[in-house]
Amino acid sequence: MTNLFRPAPLALAIAATVTVAGCAQSPSSAQNTPPATKATVVQHYADLAHANYEDALITARALDEATDRLIANPSEANMKAAKEAWLAARVPYQQTEVFRFGNAIVDDWEGQLNAWPLDEGLIDYVKADEYQHELGNAGATANIIASDSVTVGGETLDVSSLSPELLANLNEVGGSEANVATGYHAVEFLLWGQDLHGFDAGAGERPITDYASGADCTNGNCERRGEYLDAVTDLLVTDLEWMVAQWAPGNDGNYRAQLTAAEADQGIQKMLFGMGSLSLGELAGERMKVALEANSYEDEHDCFSDNTHNSHYYNGQGIQNVYTGTYRRVDGSLVTGPSLSDLVEQANPELDARLNSQLDNSMAALGVMKARAESSQNPMAFDEMIGPGNAEGEQIITNSILALVEQTGSIEQAARELGISALSPDDAGHAF
Amino acid sequence: MKLFSQALCLSVAAFAFNAQAANPSQIEAQARKLWHDNIETGYQHLNEQTREFAQRAERWCAGHTAEGRKEVEQAWQEAFLAWQAVRFVDFGPVEANNRAWQFQFWPDSKNLIARKARYLLSADQAPAPSTIEDAGVAAQGFPMAEYLLFDEKFNNSDRALPAERSCRVLSLLAGHISSNTDKLLNDWQAFEEPYLSNDQYRDASVRAGMNALEILEERRLAQPMGLRGTGKRSVYTADAWRSSKSLATVQASLEGLKQYFLPSLLQLLRNSDQPELADRIEAQFEEVLENFPALDTPMAPLLANDHEFARLQGLWVDVSQLTTLVNDQAAVAIGVVRGFNSSDGD
Repeated sequence: MTNLFRPAPLALAIAATVTVAGCAQSPSSAQNTPPATKATVVQHYADLAHANYEDALITARALDEATDRLIANPSEANMKAAKEAWLAARVPYQQTEVFRFGNAIVDDWEGQLNAWPLDEGLIDYVKADEYQHELGNAGATANIIASDSVTVGGETLDVSSLSPELLANLNEVGGSEANVATGYHAVEFLLWGQDLHGFDAGAGERPITDYASGADCTNGNCERRGEYLDAVTDLLVTDLEWMVAQWAPGNDGNYRAQLTAAEADQGIQKMLFGMGSLSLGELAGERMKVALEANSYEDEHDCFSDNTHNSHYYNGQGIQNVYTGTYRRVDGSLVTGPSLSDLVEQANPELDARLNSQLDNSMAALGVMKARAESSQNPMAFDEMIGPGNAEGEQIITNSILALVEQTGSIEQAARELGISALSPDDAGHAF
Repeated sequence: MKLFSQALCLSVAAFAFNAQAANPSQIEAQARKLWHDNIETGYQHLNEQTREFAQRAERWCAGHTAEGRKEVEQAWQEAFLAWQAVRFVDFGPVEANNRAWQFQFWPDSKNLIARKARYLLSADQAPAPSTIEDAGVAAQGFPMAEYLLFDEKFNNSDRALPAERSCRVLSLLAGHISSNTDKLLNDWQAFEEPYLSNDQYRDASVRAGMNALEILEERRLAQPMGLRGTGKRSVYTADAWRSSKSLATVQASLEGLKQYFLPSLLQLLRNSDQPELADRIEAQFEEVLENFPALDTPMAPLLANDHEFARLQGLWVDVSQLTTLVNDQAAVAIGVVRGFNSSDGD
């Protein structure tokens, strides 16, 4: 994706960081357990990922069932329940994004689940004058739901029967990353519809009658729309099942086995690389600073539902999870174990205290964003915060960006402290 | 603005801290002095070219017949290429107020430029300096001027230049760019002392060149060439496709790196334990630049034809080799570690 973010050089920030007294505690450094080693920390990282993907799967199944009910009986109550299930499913999934950078197996897979921004005209009807699609994308107005076949880049595809496999094949059709046929944002669009409010309050307002039968059907092809929603939610579930299996213990042939059998330093490098990449380049840069400085709601992450504040908040939570070795599951139970924090504490307690406190600061800053967006009185969604001349919104976002930039400096330092010299990505996503 | 004031405060604190440490070696001090002077030269050139662009746009729009569209286009191009030459500098005063993004918001996959142009040209009130100042980074720089001058669809509309409102927007925009380069140059001159006294800026300067080469190789060449991501060739992901100047900008950036970045790097390398790297990097810069002026041509036809595409591949291979030499070998030789940067993520 895009690449615009240029924060202050981190080395400078590190050199000048004022020492923060140790006020944060590492939650996993229990009294009577053996000291953490790199190997046990990588093991526990795999446990954390497994629990997190299991939660993503559990909530995706609930979403699948809720959308099935909506398709069978398109009532306002069922639409509301489906939207709530989608919002709940985002909570664990956004926390898993920290596993994406560094673990090529996740990065190669995730495009089918969480690709954005999307040219939604590929999927369904759009209001043309409010629709800005990717330049040169031949699929941007294909409207699969309204068509028996689509032609993109000289290739004609039969889409008369909508199955999970077909949608998977249609993802990134014509070689455009904006042709997102699958995943959370496709489901989001099918539930909420286009957000036509720009920088003003309000999300997408898809009428429930878009799923009605017979003469009540609005905007045409209601049955096809239901078939699409059915197939795309089924695919989400099977995709997550696959990823859960990759992290499950006791399987010699899966990714977890490979990761835990490799040099422990490699695993530690992946953990730190995932934290730093999500923190700086992706969350602070792509997802916040670009949208803010260009006043661009096209660059808003959950743009149909206006749930962007939560996507950002739980991204931040995922970073903290990996550092502290702690994950709060959707059933409320807590996963804990040997952590990066334990390792850094052994090597440099002052740095560990500082990084823990910076992670807390980031969560506090993102918490302000979440609270402001969900405020019962006069809420301000992320797409309002990025509006031209919104000083309060700008401040809220800027505070989050700065907190993430600061913690990234300490993540780099933690890497050096743990003897990880190179923080370069592997070649995931490159096809030379 | 916030980001910069934060950075500035941090650098000042770092300076105070480092003042107590040992003096940086003579060599490093000399290398930094040379960097500062060279980058200043680049900023001066940018300043002159943007002033010229602003004056020409102003005169053309005022109806002075001596100025024609061609002269304005030419002035835009020279100013834009002057920016390409110093685009690698990603630290210091260019961070204030998102100046780098103001000069060039890129890449723009969602065509935000076109959307913002519609807004600028259709708002109710007459355009004023604040129209540009409040419009966000996508509306404040060279790509917006490029849109007004070169966008095919826009040029066929009744708002095409020199229509009054469009011309007014162009003049204000060129003035905004020019005034930003005034500030940039002044701030860079004032930045000399902190830059020279803080040896952290040695690494920041080397990393700036490393990042610029990486972006050049991966985002400005490999991406439009379809060598990364989905594998689709698309000129829209390159710089300056509207004016067909994508490759001219690549050339200008390489020449800028050679002129303003390389001399200090060579000094550091010649005094490292791998002095031979200096000659290899110098030779590789020559090799890369030998692709020009033959490749100073629109990129789109090269993407459309496999035979022509091979020429582009030749350039890409040369740039990749240069990037490897600088980012892997030279960085190691002088002890600069790559940290997280904006290219991480997807």
